[in-house]
Formats: sequence, structure tokens, C-alpha cells
Amino acid sequence: MSIATRRRREVRDAILLVAPFLIIFGVFFLYPTYKVIALSFTDAPLIGEGNWIGLDNYIKLFNDRLFYTSVWNNFYFVLLTVIPTTIIALLIALAVGKLKGRVQALVLTLFFLPYVLPVSVVTMIWAWMLDFQFGILQPLIEAVTGKPVPVFKNPHWVMPMIAVVTVWWTNGFNVLLFIAGLRNIPDDLYEAAALDGATAWQRFWRVTWPLLWPITALVLTLQLILQLKLFDQVYLLSNGGPFNSSYVVLMQMYREAFQLNNGGYASAIAMVLFGIIVIVSVLQFQLLRIGGRRR
Amino acid sequence: MQDTGVHLRSVTKDFGAVKVIRGVDIDIERGQFAVFVGPSGCGKSTLLRMIAGLEDSSGGKIVISDRDVTDVDPADRGVAMVFQSYALYPHLSVFENMAFSLRLAKRPKAEVEEKVHKAAKILQLTAQLDKKPAQLSGGQRQRVAIGRAIVRAPDVFLFDEPLSNLDAELRVQMRLELARLHQTLGATMIYVTHDQVEAMTLADVIFVLQGGHVQQSGAPLDLYDDPNNRFVAGFIGSPSMNFFDATVEARTETGLRARLTGQPDLSLDVPLSSPPDVGAKLVLGMRPEHLMVTEADGLRVTVDVAEELGGVSYQHGTLEGGDAVIFQQTGVRHNMHGTLQTVAPQTDRIFAFTPEGERIR
Ligand SMILES: Nc1ncnc2c1ncn2[C@@H]1O[C@H](COP(=O)(O)OP(=O)(O)O)[C@@H](O)[C@H]1O
Ligand SMILES: [Mg+2]
Repeated sequence: MSIATRRRREVRDAILLVAPFLIIFGVFFLYPTYKVIALSFTDAPLIGEGNWIGLDNYIKLFNDRLFYTSVWNNFYFVLLTVIPTTIIALLIALAVGKLKGRVQALVLTLFFLPYVLPVSVVTMIWAWMLDFQFGILQPLIEAVTGKPVPVFKNPHWVMPMIAVVTVWWTNGFNVLLFIAGLRNIPDDLYEAAALDGATAWQRFWRVTWPLLWPITALVLTLQLILQLKLFDQVYLLSNGGPFNSSYVVLMQMYREAFQLNNGGYASAIAMVLFGIIVIVSVLQFQLLRIGGRRR
Repeated sequence: MQDTGVHLRSVTKDFGAVKVIRGVDIDIERGQFAVFVGPSGCGKSTLLRMIAGLEDSSGGKIVISDRDVTDVDPADRGVAMVFQSYALYPHLSVFENMAFSLRLAKRPKAEVEEKVHKAAKILQLTAQLDKKPAQLSGGQRQRVAIGRAIVRAPDVFLFDEPLSNLDAELRVQMRLELARLHQTLGATMIYVTHDQVEAMTLADVIFVLQGGHVQQSGAPLDLYDDPNNRFVAGFIGSPSMNFFDATVEARTETGLRARLTGQPDLSLDVPLSSPPDVGAKLVLGMRPEHLMVTEADGLRVTVDVAEELGGVSYQHGTLEGGDAVIFQQTGVRHNMHGTLQTVAPQTDRIFAFTPEGERIR
């Protein structure tokens, strides 16, 4: 067989192998992405063609007070979830890591269980538990604040409570990542540190924390992206209210697209959110890398 | 009175129902190089980790430098350990790895610099101090691990198979360096290995471990010349001793005359001070270097593999009865492969054991 024939065969095989992915990627990702970008420069309704209006949608968006409220709420939510969930997951992972064998598997399963639930079930559970009249958590709230609080109808309580629900729901996955990271740290490093006279505290800060840093950075980045895309919990628990205090960017996009039939404007919102996520996560990733290198 | 050094008294260790260490007494004097040797899984590492305090003792007493440390934290025992895996912190430079214990103790900067540089000089690591462990070769990593121990200036150094991850050449070189290091520092060292050559070359005193007990302890050549039992006789020396079943044929003035099972035309005079009765079974042990090719009566060996090392050669073969035999040849280079040779032992170098493996003297 000549070299040319063999090369041709190799190329054919390669194309055959990557084709399924390329087709699916093109049809379900590239084409819709292109459509959204194109749509954002038109005044199209949700279905059907519209007229080219240039940057009008974007100009309108940047003059929309509600959009700034939404972006602000998004970042408030990120603040309430990303770092707390990372810390909680790390603490749980450290504790679970101390357990052995079957007990460890059982406890891990318990922490992972909420992650398996669909969001509608999660919000249903919490809506019940926090119900103003019958919620079993209301006595707890009453003990702290002195009176029961309708948490999803209270502008101060709504975002923190949605954050609690979200952390409860998604924490198991982060715990799993941390457990995997902890298992990758060899025992003899801790033994060497113990012989060198390290206290438990020093063992954590000088061995565990730096060696776990890549996982921590991964969890932080994944969480940041995930939490910026907040929608379902808000939609199901508070519908953006009260007084728009839990209104977020995707909520606004959803409303414009599916309730007000402004396909073009909604696409512009989606594009801006996409831009925000890219910028913020790249920024964060670079910061975390620098933080990692200094160690 | 026990002054300094490391002393174990009836130390035991169980992992659940499994008894790994079944009562061990060990005395290591200050400044000695002691080696624990034994086959894989005999509990050498466990015993070393008990001395380090990384493993709790199930029973007995551990004394280091005149202090009962059985229940003392690892950090307070005055020991430093070099792990088989080196256990270097991958995120820290060589310097910081070696300085780790001093940093924990918050020692002044000047002292840290001085101690680390001194240790680095001994180990020829000065040029590597800024590198990360991943950028070092196996031998250099090993040295960093040793350096980390030196910086702590412990009473006792513990080594758990420190050379087993190195290639053969480097192993020999590091072995010499360890011997030199011991002379330089003069500290007590306990070294674990399954390699009896390492044990023989490094040790002031060897402890042969097997079945959770110390089978025998003493200077390397004492163990070689005068093993207490069949296990030690077989374990110390390379290639290992030949063993043959035999029966006591008669008592003589100096000991006994024994006949090897399956060798009707050869009987051997074995000098013993307390020989067993006529007819008793026993096992005779002969080292490869004490079997000589002879024209007279002897063991007839069919040689099937010859290991030629240049100066010496080891001839591997079988007796007519099927027993494996190894004998050594020095200086001569006959091609013995596939031939039938007759070998006879030096009679004053025959060891006698009971069928249970105890030495008969
Ligand atoms: N943590 C443990 N739990 C249960 N068994 C163990 C543990 N550590 C060692 N063992 C057992 O103890 C025996 C001796 O182990 P070790 O001291 O590592 O042997 P070696 O002489 O090869 O260093 C082995 O049979 C091993 O399986
Ligand atoms: Mg071992």
C-alpha cells in the first residue's frame, strides 16, 4: 500500500470518527448560537422573521433599569452561593474523609441525594418547609427573629433563602469533587508532617489546602458559571418578586421571549449574559491561577 | 541499666484479628546502624512505624534515649523518618521541603538558612534548592528526603526501604552514601529492607524478622557464620544455602555421620557437640561456596543453568532425587551447562537443623 493511500485512509477514518460529534455540535449548538446572535440585531418576535434594526436592542437594554436590577441580583446571588458552597463542601469533605468504608459511602450518599432531585421537587420541598403558616422551619425563624417570616414574599429574605435552597441542592457534587481531591493526597505526606511536628491546623494549611487548590479553583469556577445562570429556582419559588428583588437576567430574558414575544430583545439579553459569564469566569480563573502560583 | 539508643520490650501489634508483631525485644545502642530485614509482609514497616509513633502499639514498651515513648506523639519522640515513597511536598521547593519542620517550629530565618544549607551541602543538593521535587531525579528526591531528616537533627533516623525505588547502580551508590552519612553524623539509624545484601553491607547489627518474631540478631557475619535456625540460614547469604534431608547413620567422636535421603553412596561426617540419636531425621545446610567439585564421592548434580559473573559463577542444577542445588565456582571457567558434576561439601562448614528448622550445634 502506498503512503498516499494510507494517508487518504487515515483522513477518511478521522473524518468518520469526528463526524457524529461535529454534526450534533453544529445542529444543536453552532446553528442556534448563530441564530441568537443574528436575532439580537432584529426586532423579530419569538417565531418568524423580523427587520434588521442594528444595535437598537442593545441600546435599549443598556437604558433598561430592570436590566441593571437583574444583573445586580445575579451578582448578589453569586456572592451568596459560590464561596459559601465551596467552604461548606470542603468542610463536609474533610469530615466525610475521616469516616471509613461503608459508613463513609452511606454518609456521602446522603449528602449527594439532593443533587439527584429535579429542581421542581427541590423547590416544592423547601416551599413546604418554609411555608408561612405550616412550614416546619418557621419556628426556627421565629426563634431568631421573633416572628414568622413569609420568606419568599420578603425582599430581604428572598435571595438568601434561594441561595440556601441552591446550596443544599447542588452541594453534593462539590463534596464529591473535594473527596476525590483529598483521596489524591498521599497519606505519607500527613505522616511526614506529623513527624515534623505539624498540628492538625498546620497539616491543613500547609499540606491539604495547597495540594487541594486546583480542585478548589475548579469548584469555584464551575459554581460561578452555574450560579450566574440562575433561573429555575427563582421562577419556581418567587417568580422574580417581591418588587423585583429576586429578578435575574435569565428571568428577564424568559419574560421578554416567552411572555412578551420579543425574540430579538431576548436574544440581546442572552448575548450580554453570555458576555458577562465569559468575562467574569476568565477573570476569576486568572486570579485563581495567580493565587495558586504564589503558594 | 539502659542508657541511650532504642529499646523495645515485648512489643506486639494486631490489626484486628491479625497478629503482625508477636512480641519483639530489640536493643539498639546509641550510634549503631541497625537493619531490620525479612521477607515482604513480615511486619518490618509496621515495627518501624511503631517506633516512629505512626502506628499505635498493641502491647509492650518502646524506649528511646532513656525515655518511655510508647504513648508519645510522633513529633516528640526525637525520630525522623525517610519514607519509601520519599513523601516530599510537591508544592514546595527543595529548600522549603527541608525547612518544613523548622518553619513549623517558627525558628529564626538565619537558623533555617544555616541548617538547610548545611544539610544540602552534605547531600550535594545546594544547586537544587530552588527546584520542585518533580524536577528532580529519583536519587535526588531520595537525598531531599534524607536532608529533611538531617535538618531536624533527631536522635534516631528511621529508613523504610529508602532505596527500593532506585535503579541498581544508584542503589549501590546511595548505599555507600548512607554508610558515609552514618559515619559523619554518628546518629542511631534504623533501616528496613527486604534485601539481605543491603542489610549485610550497611548494618552494625541485623535483626531478622519473620512470623512476627525476631528470628536472630547480631553482627552481619555472625548471622552468616552461625545462624540460629534454618530460616536465618536460608535468608542471609546470596545465593541462598542448599538444604538436604538426611538421617543420622551413626554417632562419631566429633559428632555424627549422616546419610542424605536419596543418595545411598554418600555419607557425611558432621561435627556436632550434642548430636541427635541414631535414626533421627535432620536437615543439612551447605552454602554454595562450600561445595567443591571433586573426583571422589559426592553429590551428583546435573547443571542446567550457569550464571557467569566473571570472577565467580553460580551453577544451578538438580540432584538425582530432584532436589535443587547451587554451587559456586571461583576463577575457573568451564562450560558446565548440561554436564553432570560431582560436588562435595567442606565437612566443617555443614550446618545441621532439626526437621522443624532449629539449629543443632
Ligand atoms: N493498616 C493495616 N491494616 C491491616 N493490616 C495491615 C496494615 N498495615 C499492614 N498490615 C499487614 O501487616 C503485615 C505486615 O505489613 P508490613 O509491615 O508493611 O510488611 P513489610 O515487612 O513488607 O514492611 C502485612 O501482612 C500487611 O498486610
Ligand atoms: Mg514495608
